[in-house]
Amino acid sequence: MAQIDERSVWEKIADQLRSRSMWMLHYCTGCGAVELPPSMTSRFDMERLGMGPMATPRQADIFLITGYLSTKTLRRVIYTYEKMADPKYVIGFGSCTINGGIYYDSYSTINRLDLYLPVDLYIAGCMPRPEAILNAFNTLMEMIRKGEANGWKRYKENYEWYKQNQLRSLGEVIIHDEFHE
Amino acid sequence: MTNSMNKTPAEILEKAKELFNIKIEDVADRQYKIISENDKTIPLLSFLKESGYSHLSILTCVDWIEEKKFELVYILFNWSNGTTFLVSTFVDREKPIFYTVKDMWPTAEYYERDVHEFFGVEFEGNERCKLPMILESWNDLPPLRKDFDPLKFSKEHFPDREYEKDVIHEAKIIRSDLDDTRGDING
Amino acid sequence: MTGVATVGRVAGILLTAFFFGLTFEGIGRKITARIQKRYGPPWYQNFIDVFKTLTKHGWTHGWIFDFGVLMALGGVIATLSFVPLGNLVAFPGLDNFFVIAYLFTVGALGMAMGMVGTGNPWASVGVARALTLMLGYEVPFLIVITSLMYYYKTGNISNIIMAQAQSGQWNIVKFPIGALVALISLQGMLGKEPFEAPIAPAEIASGPMVELSAKYMGLLMLMNTFMEFIEISLFVNFFLGGGNYFEFLLKYFIVWTLAVMISAVLPRFRIEQAVAFYWTVPILLAFLQAFLVVNGWVF
Repeated sequence: MAQIDERSVWEKIADQLRSRSMWMLHYCTGCGAVELPPSMTSRFDMERLGMGPMATPRQADIFLITGYLSTKTLRRVIYTYEKMADPKYVIGFGSCTINGGIYYDSYSTINRLDLYLPVDLYIAGCMPRPEAILNAFNTLMEMIRKGEANGWKRYKENYEWYKQNQLRSLGEVIIHDEFHE
Repeated sequence: MTNSMNKTPAEILEKAKELFNIKIEDVADRQYKIISENDKTIPLLSFLKESGYSHLSILTCVDWIEEKKFELVYILFNWSNGTTFLVSTFVDREKPIFYTVKDMWPTAEYYERDVHEFFGVEFEGNERCKLPMILESWNDLPPLRKDFDPLKFSKEHFPDREYEKDVIHEAKIIRSDLDDTRGDING
Repeated sequence: MTGVATVGRVAGILLTAFFFGLTFEGIGRKITARIQKRYGPPWYQNFIDVFKTLTKHGWTHGWIFDFGVLMALGGVIATLSFVPLGNLVAFPGLDNFFVIAYLFTVGALGMAMGMVGTGNPWASVGVARALTLMLGYEVPFLIVITSLMYYYKTGNISNIIMAQAQSGQWNIVKFPIGALVALISLQGMLGKEPFEAPIAPAEIASGPMVELSAKYMGLLMLMNTFMEFIEISLFVNFFLGGGNYFEFLLKYFIVWTLAVMISAVLPRFRIEQAVAFYWTVPILLAFLQAFLVVNGWVF
């Protein structure tokens, strides 16, 4: 469980506002992204919680890591996470982010997400159903209001530790491919 | 010469057999496997391409580790009669070199890069094989070879989550003695 | 004394635009949601969105970016204070259509300058697309407004409102073709489907707004709201007869609901399809309307 920091009155009001209007980044990493359209459409409507998809990382608040992350994707996910504006929250969907899932013995997928990015909330399942996803969003809103969702502060304070883990598993975080050079 | 698009597969296979000395197996309905030698493969492929099998579905590789060979498989498809030919040749596993077919099919360049990254087969004539396409900063064995151990690699590079089984806590959850059972994951 | 009254009227107009603009946007989201058979967000959702963006810690991209955003919001606020809301006019005698059209460009160009100043190539592409679309919808609209001003022999919006009140007939009845063209142009001005390509999130990551982070995003959302308010107010004043403050808001709400409902069911045109459309059908109708007005054949 995350520790609760001291917050001023403005921060408390701001957290009430942030919890009621969360914009998620439209970056769907793995096979879990197939559970997002049912959450957005009319049966399990996500917009009544105030959430909606947003196209660019500069404007988004929530990053949903839906499923396994290969090393190639993880480099780009780290780029994207560092582009987002504070305060930002990360939710890990599915068992591949918790302990590797069914790809625990693969040479290119990571086994434990919170060594590389600060995760606020995990959802268990392979893939979690939309009911579980909406339950998780409600839980995240409660956490934000209580001040427990401070993964972004942990990332800034323990930056060296996260970078060390990233470099150990990835080799390097800089992207060398035909499109970046 | 008659129009070679209208020949049946059996006729084409007969002609190929007398030209190129190949072995033929029936795999399934309208699927035939052709095994040829190294130096006769490229002429065979261009002959088949002109006989109507102009679509290269995929170029892939199989690792026969006991026989110490790589089997390169080219899957060709004919759009007019729906027949598939699987053309395969065997390449030596210690020094796997073959020739590129990217002049006949431009997409073969990417298939060859794929096979090069994952098996280590070199294709003469395709210089872009050296550039990384799927794997980035990889300096270990080519991963799809059978002597590569992915579990060992995963345990070295990607640390796992350590679990301690807290039996009493779990028993309480099962007996519904706890109110807040929201995912208490270690770490 | 008149200075205080003017300041009061300007404040009234700005507060109306702020409060009712954001409320009607929230109600628009709810209407879209109900059309899609789901519950929508609460009606005050857009207020929360704007205030939330003000609490995030973003960063700036240089002084051109800051200046561009300021110019955008400042220009739009300046334009808004000249627009009459029915019979609430901040600067009587100065609410000429040409004044508003001139000041409008300050806002649009400010936004273009600020977005290009971020250095992201998608922002430049998005701005180019937005200005291309503007080339499409402005021309039929201006033809219709010019023929309207020719008929009434004045450019002053309050006079046009009073002329409609005196003759008892709204301009939408006298110039139906012109009103139809103005409605089609309005859909493009508001940035709603089917002409949403420049700013839609699915199109090159929001086009011009791709690099805006925290408070800049909030300021640009406000700027969009104010611009929508100005555009619909112009339509209501020209064609639906203004009226007093509450009638004006009711007519505004009806036009806004119509725009939202049309946008909820239509897909998006590409930019070249949208401009090609604007330069064929609405322009012909606008010329037809101008021809009718010049010959005096109105209802």
